[in-house]
Amino acid sequence: MPSSSDHEYGSPSEVPEPQPPEHTLRSPRDSPSSSIPEFDTPISPPSFGTKTTLSSSETRLPITPPASSISKSRSPSGLRTQSRDRSSASSRDASPSIPLNDSNQEYRQTIVRSFAPRVAVYASPDTEEFVRQKGFDRGLYGLLRPYGERLQARVIIRDSVGVSKGWDDFGVRFIDAQELQRSSTRQVEGGATDQETWSLSNGSQNLSEHRNQSRSDEDGAIIDRLLNHHLHTEDATIDGHKGDYFDYDGRSYEPRPAGSPLYPFYLRKLLSSAPIVPYETFSHPVACMITVSSRHPAPIEALRQLYANTGHGFNKTPAWVGTEYLRYYVLIHDEENDDITKSTALFDLMKRHFGLHCHLLRLRSSQCVQTDDDSTRVPSSEWLSADEEMNQIRSKDYTDDIENSEKYILESDATAIRALLREMVAQSIVPFMESRVMTWNDQVASRRRGISGRFMSLSKRWTGFGSNKGGASGSGGASNASGSNYDYQRGFYPPETPEATMRQLGDYAFMLRDWRLAHSTYDFLRTDFSHDKAWSYHAAVNEMVAITSLLMPQTYNSKYKLETIDQMLDTAAYSYLTRCSMPFSVVRCFTLAIELLKDRGTLAADDAARWGGKLLEFGVLDPIAQALISERIAECYMSRASVNVPNAGTRRRQAALWSILSADSWMRLDNPAQARLRLTEASALYRLKDQQNAGPPFPSMQAFWQKLDHALREADGPQSLVDTGVGDGHLEFSTTEETEQLSAFTRPMSAEVIDTEGFTPQDACRPTPDAGYDMPLQSDGFE
Amino acid sequence: MSYYFCIVGTQDQPLFELEFGTSKQGGDGIARFSQEARHMNPFIVHSSLDFVDELQWTNNQMYLKRVDQFASSHISTFLTPTSTRFMLLHLPHPPNTSPQSTPSPNSFPPFTPYTSTPASTTTASRSSSSSSTSIPNNPTSPQTEEAIRAFFGEVFEVWMKAIMSPFASVEGKLGSLVFRQRVVAAGRKYL
Repeated sequence: MPSSSDHEYGSPSEVPEPQPPEHTLRSPRDSPSSSIPEFDTPISPPSFGTKTTLSSSETRLPITPPASSISKSRSPSGLRTQSRDRSSASSRDASPSIPLNDSNQEYRQTIVRSFAPRVAVYASPDTEEFVRQKGFDRGLYGLLRPYGERLQARVIIRDSVGVSKGWDDFGVRFIDAQELQRSSTRQVEGGATDQETWSLSNGSQNLSEHRNQSRSDEDGAIIDRLLNHHLHTEDATIDGHKGDYFDYDGRSYEPRPAGSPLYPFYLRKLLSSAPIVPYETFSHPVACMITVSSRHPAPIEALRQLYANTGHGFNKTPAWVGTEYLRYYVLIHDEENDDITKSTALFDLMKRHFGLHCHLLRLRSSQCVQTDDDSTRVPSSEWLSADEEMNQIRSKDYTDDIENSEKYILESDATAIRALLREMVAQSIVPFMESRVMTWNDQVASRRRGISGRFMSLSKRWTGFGSNKGGASGSGGASNASGSNYDYQRGFYPPETPEATMRQLGDYAFMLRDWRLAHSTYDFLRTDFSHDKAWSYHAAVNEMVAITSLLMPQTYNSKYKLETIDQMLDTAAYSYLTRCSMPFSVVRCFTLAIELLKDRGTLAADDAARWGGKLLEFGVLDPIAQALISERIAECYMSRASVNVPNAGTRRRQAALWSILSADSWMRLDNPAQARLRLTEASALYRLKDQQNAGPPFPSMQAFWQKLDHALREADGPQSLVDTGVGDGHLEFSTTEETEQLSAFTRPMSAEVIDTEGFTPQDACRPTPDAGYDMPLQSDGFE
Repeated sequence: MSYYFCIVGTQDQPLFELEFGTSKQGGDGIARFSQEARHMNPFIVHSSLDFVDELQWTNNQMYLKRVDQFASSHISTFLTPTSTRFMLLHLPHPPNTSPQSTPSPNSFPPFTPYTSTPASTTTASRSSSSSSTSIPNNPTSPQTEEAIRAFFGEVFEVWMKAIMSPFASVEGKLGSLVFRQRVVAAGRKYL
């Protein structure tokens, strides 16, 4: 819609106060001029059977007459009429994403943002060539991706109860269509071809799980290598990115002074490296963007051809990805070479053929360099998976080309792309998802939730009867002898089955940040999956139940809740590890749980630390991740303020222990800088209470402490002699060393602290240099 | 099972430290901590004082039972009326053999020498050991709990006698050889 660019979008950072409706994104729908083309009934191409039904259900949305008041009824018609009032309703809501200073809120935001709708990009060859000419090697997908992550606009989402909320940090993630296809071929090549898998009886499930495992192991290793790279080059790389990471609303991220800057990076990589899998639909496309350029001789045919690619079939989307996602058609007009009148005519034709989900994107074809007049830098993509970033670094190392890493485009092009994405998200993707959620909630979920649904699933389970009646859309031939919809041979639920649909409903609700609906949906699915013995699904859904209940506000007061979450996480971990052997998923699950629990206050911070300990015990973490997680546990304990009794309820000593452990891990990784920071932290924690106590509280701790200290000094090498003040950590350390000696000197000698074995406190804090690590404890008089 | 016993004063200073092994099931009473674990033990015991400090306000027993767990090590506590704390760290493993170390690239260093079985109580399958109720194998069983209670009771008695000496103080180090022998005897008797 060309008129949408005329509107001024409110700057996202200044949103908490109520805004007039024309500042919100939904406004173009309400303005009469722009809504005229929407009332055209779309003429769907006759060849697309599924498309026709889909688009007709979508177009019902704008056609309904506007309702004057907001009704809180749950009925679908009531909800539908509200779509017109959304913008006015939103003005009354306070923004849920108020700028928060707590660093933990940042983690929470990172987690929430990471579950963004995926949009697959299907571009015709001429489009790809056009974009490549502009200097983007990765095609249209590479061009759009950074902009999709930062919409720089407020998106208003209505949840299942009919309450609207505006989100400033909403974004979409673009995925390459080839990535989807690759994941389908990966599925095929590991076991057998499609036909073969059909005939294979058992064992192929094991194969697919095996593949999952190897893939996830790979992911962890790649993240580890990436972290290692960042550690060893310099922290500047991460610092450079940092400005980009959180600047969607103008704020830049400031790390806690004590925390390692690597941890947010690790969390981000962990979240963005999730593979495309059958058992959760977060990585499945919610929409796809079918793109053709004005250069194409027969654009409508090209679009049809591309549309055909979005369905199932050989070398297309994998069988476990539902194909009922939104199709969005984009025509790219070349401003420099093509005639705009021709393009407009073509665009009108497109709209007539494909309905309202169309957009005309006007770009200039020439490549832009930094010295051009109105050039802007293309922001770096924030959600690069570890794999991609590794490749990027590698190519940067090989080519040694600085210009290649920084891309520039014209300001006008950037504006056009932003307008396209805003319009697509606000007017097509979000309404589409809302309507899907509503339909599924009505047709599938409520039917299953009701008493008859329970009865149906019971009878299905025990008698193997009526397996198809429970499903809303008919599961076809997918059901098997045991009566469940789970396809044991291929190891997934076909996307049409009620279980898969409900999982998708939950995920859509999650992505729309309707935690309550997502939670109830996931919770309902748990029993289904465990009855069907679909363990990967079972694990994933348990994980999501725990995470959604942690994301839901104000539900955490009771102890009961805590225990249920414990149980979910435990089940998820057991299913992931023992039944499916997918360690990467356990890492993600627990890391999310730790962050969200830590966010929940003092009681839950203990739990967070406990889960962290468990995660370390599982032995699934890579070395750097181990160090980071133990750091994180220390921080969880540190965040526990004293409750009512002074000195009781603090976790100072626990925090000190974990700081020491992470210092030790960093030393093992040969990273003295990080180790020194942690050791400084630990020594501060051990001395918090009694100032006159110089050494660690137990004399028997001395050996280990000395060992770390020695290792650090050795790592310093000649630098420690010259002492040029190489880094902050070093300076801090030397000052603590001084205070140690000072306090040892000024410490009063009281009669009761003299060891009868001649072990004086001075010895404890200033041991002879040969009191090394290997000195056994027995020499202190142990048996 | 290997034990690390420590008496901690009110200022978190250790007054007495002792390592010993199980004497049940033909155990020879020698502690078999790995070098790594031996160095970590004081840290672990010290850190679980956090939980003791919190528990002492809610629990009116002197024996606080198992208060903390770090990897496979469990910590039981006895609280004396003067807030002197008896801490016992117990690490389960078969008698007279060192805990198996299964080094894998992804295991966290302090956990490596310990984990003969995965430590998590609910997620691990605990059916591997044949005599799961005997003291050396199952630190969470009521039998172990009772044995530790008896041990603590005896040590408490000995400790009282030791600090009643006019030359000793409650916060002073317990260096008496007789006291040490009595504690070792109690350990041999019950654990």
